[in-house]
Amino acid sequence: MNISETISEFVKNQFEIGDDPDFNNDVHLFNEGFVDSFGAVEIIHFVETTYNIQITQKDITLYPMNTVNEIAAVVEQKLG
Amino acid sequence: MNKMINSCTAILDRAAEKFGQKTAFCDKDGEISFSDLKSRALKIGTYLLDNTGASKTRPVLVCMEKSINSVVSFMGAMYAGAPYVPVDCNIPRTRLEKTIENLKPAAVITDTASRFDGFDIDAVEFDTASEYCADEEKISRALMSVCDLDPAYIMYTSGSTGVPKGVTISHRAVIDYTLWLNDTFDIDETSVIGMQSAFHFDNSVFDMFITLYTGAKNYIIPEILFMYPQKLIDYMNENQINTIFWVPTVMISMANSSVLSGDNTLPPLRLILFAGEVMPNTQLNIWRKAFPDAVYVNMYGPTEVCDIATYYIVECEFENHETLPIGKPCANMKAIILNDKDELCGIGEQGELCIGGSALALGYWNAPELTNKAFVQNPLNKYYHEKIYRTGDLVYKNDEGNIIFIGRADTQIKLRGNRIELGDLESAASAIDGVNSSCALFDCEKQEIVLFLESDEEIVQRKFKLALRQYVPAYMIPSKIVTMSAFPHTPSGKIDRVLLKNNYL
Repeated sequence: MNISETISEFVKNQFEIGDDPDFNNDVHLFNEGFVDSFGAVEIIHFVETTYNIQITQKDITLYPMNTVNEIAAVVEQKLG
Repeated sequence: MNKMINSCTAILDRAAEKFGQKTAFCDKDGEISFSDLKSRALKIGTYLLDNTGASKTRPVLVCMEKSINSVVSFMGAMYAGAPYVPVDCNIPRTRLEKTIENLKPAAVITDTASRFDGFDIDAVEFDTASEYCADEEKISRALMSVCDLDPAYIMYTSGSTGVPKGVTISHRAVIDYTLWLNDTFDIDETSVIGMQSAFHFDNSVFDMFITLYTGAKNYIIPEILFMYPQKLIDYMNENQINTIFWVPTVMISMANSSVLSGDNTLPPLRLILFAGEVMPNTQLNIWRKAFPDAVYVNMYGPTEVCDIATYYIVECEFENHETLPIGKPCANMKAIILNDKDELCGIGEQGELCIGGSALALGYWNAPELTNKAFVQNPLNKYYHEKIYRTGDLVYKNDEGNIIFIGRADTQIKLRGNRIELGDLESAASAIDGVNSSCALFDCEKQEIVLFLESDEEIVQRKFKLALRQYVPAYMIPSKIVTMSAFPHTPSGKIDRVLLKNNYL
């Protein structure tokens, strides 16, 4: 699985999204109501531990991380 | 020589002269000094005077990301002699329509003009106005028609019928509030403030004007960081933030998230103010343990006064289950407690808190009937004109003369610092297809709104919440939705709220 797929699987399982046809890797997770604000911490924790990286306060401030693909892009950049 | 401060722009004039190139505000994109803030605001002000009808009766709406540019825009509007009106960038379209209809603004300053396509309003791009050529003489002429009792800002708040109310606050209110803050708390040029409040909440008045008055440095904290407690602590450490005025919800979630305990490195906080809702001692005690030398202040004020009316400096120990007082009135304010016969309550007697003083609002914008209902003559005074605001908050005074908040007299609630009329949510829910009737209740224990819907159709929760978002702000979206084919009714034909509460909450 690539990074987007891994994150997508985690999000779908963790937040009980199932086969909702509105869900995809470009959907705004928070505005569209798939994940609440508390879930954001869980997603960041998941990618930090899975890929052994540090998402800093600057990353969070400067890069949008509202969709699976946006989060994957930050992870990819960190992995270089 | 000290010149009398008779408007909010005079506070900025003084700051530009006194603190000059010192950094005033920082955001994720950069920083701005006191004198640059003034120069840029003058450009905006001149643009508004040359190209729009901005004046004290034609306010300027500001719809921007939380940033330095917001502050520049507010000050620019006031240099044009017009009140500023901050609105949330994510405001639902229907609410924005109602706001514009009530406000009749001269223009809107925005970072995304396309948002206002289809609205009958002149949308000014921030970048265009802030590059304009400033004309100080023109600004001075415009300010000659502004006195300290003219409006400085208007903030919209939830109205029980679904129409937002524009609370109108004078320059005098902002000035007196700022002077009181300066006299009461240890805030100066060495203060580094971490701003939590969004600009469309009146706690932002503290951040803006105490920064300008004292020469403190203000970090406008990006909203996104409040979702990540540890990253927020990292940010505060990096910027050595020592002063905060936050809403309790944020402090509660920090306390609950363990970032304040253990051997985590913490910022050098020395002054911690909070207001907007009840602060529980359970979480405050976690803060007090993490920052034992900081000064803590519980503040209270409805939007109808300039931010704060009463305050309580937390000096003694409180058990987790005890209630923190909201204290005593600020120097320029008065707080009286009236019983249902409009008589002054004695010590320990419960009544409605009524507020008067120079920070009181001028009323609701363009809504004389609502204004006359809420802002009334002090019934204890028949000798001269003295307005008080009836807050609807039930309180009593204890032996030490401190006021203790008990609850609301109506269905208005406070959730995560936001003031919500449950009737407002019910009107929105009932407007959605498939809903026959709706009833919103507040679960005090879980601190969540439960929305009951009477419907013959199956309601998909996520979709229904999205539909609601067209009418009400995100903070009003209920956590729980219960659908039923028929509501229980009382013998008089009303929805039986007590039964619903007992069965479902």
